[in-house]
Amino acid sequence: MVGSTIPRFASLHDVELCTYAATGERRAFGELVRRHGSGVRGLLRRMGAAPSEADDVAQDAFLAAFERIAEFRGEGTFAAWVKRIAARLYLRRLQKERKLAAFATQAMEADPPDAGGDSDASLDLDEALKALSAAERVCVTMCFGAGLSHTEAAEALNLPLGTVKSHVKRGLEKLRARLAPEGVVSEGRRGNG
Amino acid sequence: MAELDFERRLERLFADAPELPDATAFAEGVERRLATGWTARRWLIGAAGIAGGLIGASQLIMSNIFQRVESAGDSARALQAGIVQVAPKAEWVSGFASGGVVVWVASALAIVAMGFALTRVIEEL
Repeated sequence: MVGSTIPRFASLHDVELCTYAATGERRAFGELVRRHGSGVRGLLRRMGAAPSEADDVAQDAFLAAFERIAEFRGEGTFAAWVKRIAARLYLRRLQKERKLAAFATQAMEADPPDAGGDSDASLDLDEALKALSAAERVCVTMCFGAGLSHTEAAEALNLPLGTVKSHVKRGLEKLRARLAPEGVVSEGRRGNG
Repeated sequence: MAELDFERRLERLFADAPELPDATAFAEGVERRLATGWTARRWLIGAAGIAGGLIGASQLIMSNIFQRVESAGDSARALQAGIVQVAPKAEWVSGFASGGVVVWVASALAIVAMGFALTRVIEEL
């Protein structure tokens, strides 16, 4: 039955679920989607995707992950692996829409309007990210959310390494200025593995 | 050092994604697409197998395979007779050349191998 979770899958570790999924067990993979779907969708939204677009790309990413599940060796976490796939798929989509080309020049542009936050406010990450330009947001999210190195991000974005480093640096500066001090960040968030 | 701490904090914040309210519906959507994809793939593989089998069979018929088998059998018998004259004790050759059975078996194996190869290629696609 679609969507049903067999209890034994719910109790298994991600790596074990991947092993089942590699044998074609779709319910095991469904459990992985249940665990990490929100994380992947959240990452894409933080990269600047609209919610519906993020959902589309996340679905494609999970389907691609299922196709390539045998390539997952368990060296990192499954969540990190599928997030990388999702981030690359999203970039490919941006490239098709010719939105990536603008990223190379955005470093020289003026900062976007201030999101209204300051370092004393209890801003969460999502709010703080709104203060970044599209290029900065994508670069920071790829490096700190999807776990790509600067070099990998530069290759994925088809941008010079220096440009990516510049976007990341400027993005970090803005985030540092806007994020509340550690411990004050809005609570009630729950990790999903 | 402070910079490194901030970067680690940022990584934690990124990893700490909120659970979206429609997480279950999203997972069900992915499972549905997976199921649809597998059904479509099974149909595709089945259809390709049938098409491949029909093409293979028609090719066999069109290429006068039966005449060729007969002539191959004749050639095998002639070859056997020749070899028997040269080396009367070469028993293994007579086993090989008995009629057109070898050709039939080889043809069947070739078709099976082609079927496997075709299936594998489609799965890879």
